[in-house]
Amino acid sequence: MNKLFPTQEIGSLAKPRWRVKGYRGKPLSKEEITEAVDWGRKLGIEDLDELIKLLSETDSGDRKRAMLEWSAKYAIRFFESAGLDVVFAGEQWRSEMYEHVIRKTTGFKFLGCVKCFDYRYFNKAACIDKPKYVGSLYLDEFLFAKENTEKELKVPFTGPYTLVDWTFNEFYEKRLSGEFRDFKRRKLEAKREFLFDLIKKVIRPEISKLVDAGAKWIQIDEPAATTNPTDEEMELFLESFNETVKGFNCAFSLHNCYSNYEVLAKHACKLRNCSQLALEFANRDSRQAGIGDPRTGYKEIKLFEDYGFRGDYGLGVIDVHTNFVEPPELVRDRILHVVKMIGDPGRIYVSTDCGLRTRKWELSFKKLKNMVLGAELARKALK
Amino acid sequence: MTCCYLTGILPRTKELIEATRAYDRGRVNEKELEKAFENATLKVIDTQLSTEFSYITDGMLKWQDLFRPFTENLSGVRIGGLARWFNNNTFYRKPIIVGDIRRKKSIIEEITYIKYLPKNSPWKAILPAPYTFAQLSENQFYTDKIELMFKYAKILREEIEGLARLGFKYVQLSDPALVYKPIATSMASDELSLIGEALKVAVKGIIIKTCLQTFFGDFSKILPEALDFPVDHVGIDLYETNFEKLKEYSFEKGVALGLVDSRDSLVENEDELVTVAKEIMESIDSSKACEVFICPNCDLEFLPWKRAEEKTKVISCVAKRLKEEFL
Repeated sequence: MNKLFPTQEIGSLAKPRWRVKGYRGKPLSKEEITEAVDWGRKLGIEDLDELIKLLSETDSGDRKRAMLEWSAKYAIRFFESAGLDVVFAGEQWRSEMYEHVIRKTTGFKFLGCVKCFDYRYFNKAACIDKPKYVGSLYLDEFLFAKENTEKELKVPFTGPYTLVDWTFNEFYEKRLSGEFRDFKRRKLEAKREFLFDLIKKVIRPEISKLVDAGAKWIQIDEPAATTNPTDEEMELFLESFNETVKGFNCAFSLHNCYSNYEVLAKHACKLRNCSQLALEFANRDSRQAGIGDPRTGYKEIKLFEDYGFRGDYGLGVIDVHTNFVEPPELVRDRILHVVKMIGDPGRIYVSTDCGLRTRKWELSFKKLKNMVLGAELARKALK
Repeated sequence: MTCCYLTGILPRTKELIEATRAYDRGRVNEKELEKAFENATLKVIDTQLSTEFSYITDGMLKWQDLFRPFTENLSGVRIGGLARWFNNNTFYRKPIIVGDIRRKKSIIEEITYIKYLPKNSPWKAILPAPYTFAQLSENQFYTDKIELMFKYAKILREEIEGLARLGFKYVQLSDPALVYKPIATSMASDELSLIGEALKVAVKGIIIKTCLQTFFGDFSKILPEALDFPVDHVGIDLYETNFEKLKEYSFEKGVALGLVDSRDSLVENEDELVTVAKEIMESIDSSKACEVFICPNCDLEFLPWKRAEEKTKVISCVAKRLKEEFL
């Protein structure tokens, strides 16, 4: 992008109540409809009467698709109105980053909930057969977004390593039973087979469709990238990323957050065709303004530089897990601090740490607006 | 003698998961939630009894993580933020050590459903080992983590003595940090010897059986030092441990063989487990004098309850076959 310090959000936005209930065909309260109308007006959404009519109707066959389209349009306008340079559909089209893919692919079976922490659980699937591509994962969402914005578009895409790491691997382990005496070696080999079959049979066919449909930038989301920090597993992750993106005429970025960046930094320079690393830093940083000492959260950038990563940074300057609204001056200082560290301002995309899905829209909007203002202050400071 | 038991927190049943979720959303009250915990506890105890487990746990269904009873109940400890539980997609709350740690009451007695533990079967309790507790805490008070490890070991001893008085016959200390070393090659011998000293503080002279259960890493990397630890048994995660290296040593203490994989849903082939167990036992214990336990490699909580239940049956069957075929 020609502009200095382009701005972007990284993952999903919260789903408004009218989207959740509307999609499920549940009746909405007056307040929930008012919320949809108020935000619609604020974002300049056209034909709001149609949405109100849809939300007031009982369930119909077309309603689900219509709700996806309306909520995607809201998310795109939300990002545009906040002033972002890069937009997408806010993942309103998806149930959740893991389930969305698993449910749209054959070869998997959900086994039930396992504990994530405290009273929070996630529905975990097992791979019970070779994964098979039976229909597009993100194509409809992308085509709709393309029709509805003039801005630069990216497609967030759940990465194969994370999908495999979060899934029980029954099919491939069973297939290898008896072949390896060492259980650990067997599990790793089975993981490798699962991973590369998934890439070949599901991930690359989807990327191919997106690229054919005009996608220019795909953001591969790999929150599990450093869960297993051994060299062997990190090599597997690198191989999987490189195989995923190989040969496509499209830009790719990698998003990873709340992870071990010492480990990622060591391996990041071996990522091929990865134009940008979108990383979380604001969460690790102090809230005090200034360049230099207060910027404790950004020290790991040095590791990425020292290990030889020369791509762009999707620089997390907004913490998505607090209600603190970062002042534009703090955003500016975070950017300028990293400019000083890496020397080249052209390598920075100003970003949120991760998706804002756990924050209310009102708050997310304020945070994004300040991020845009902070990027502008940084541009002025460098003039 | 081949026996079997569980080695950690069990998964919550579907009904209990629903109750905890409803509680979080304010749809059920504390009394209703407690009832759901009690029902699920009875169910998991019943599963262990019907599969003829040698020692019975209450399933630890209330434990939010391995440290939580201590994090919440020791003075000098504050509950920290979420941190990843080793290489799992599961998180624990970091104990933050902000003052001298002290025990104000019987911690495990309070969280355990002792009233539901069967009168006619021996009971087992599971607690975090000193090294793992110290390593995974954030120390803001003591000079270093070694001091913290010894302080905690003292508290642990008081707990274990209390459990023995209550009638528990077996105590397992869970020590994943001891073997989970994804980047370091191996542990220094003097560090292992300090860990042994801390274990002495916790369990030496304790009248009930004790086991140091390792998981998520390769047990062979702490050999031979681990064989001198002052515990009756050592637990080994066979999904992370190099079998061949293990077989180079002769064990003079009992072993808990983590033969069933709690981190994978595929139900194991009994024949293969029996073969592997026999091979390891013949190598490390040629005199057949040591006690052997068949168990999961770590807490079964990484699985949905139904699958965990199926795996407890495999454990029991493998232990029975080994009893018949091997000893």
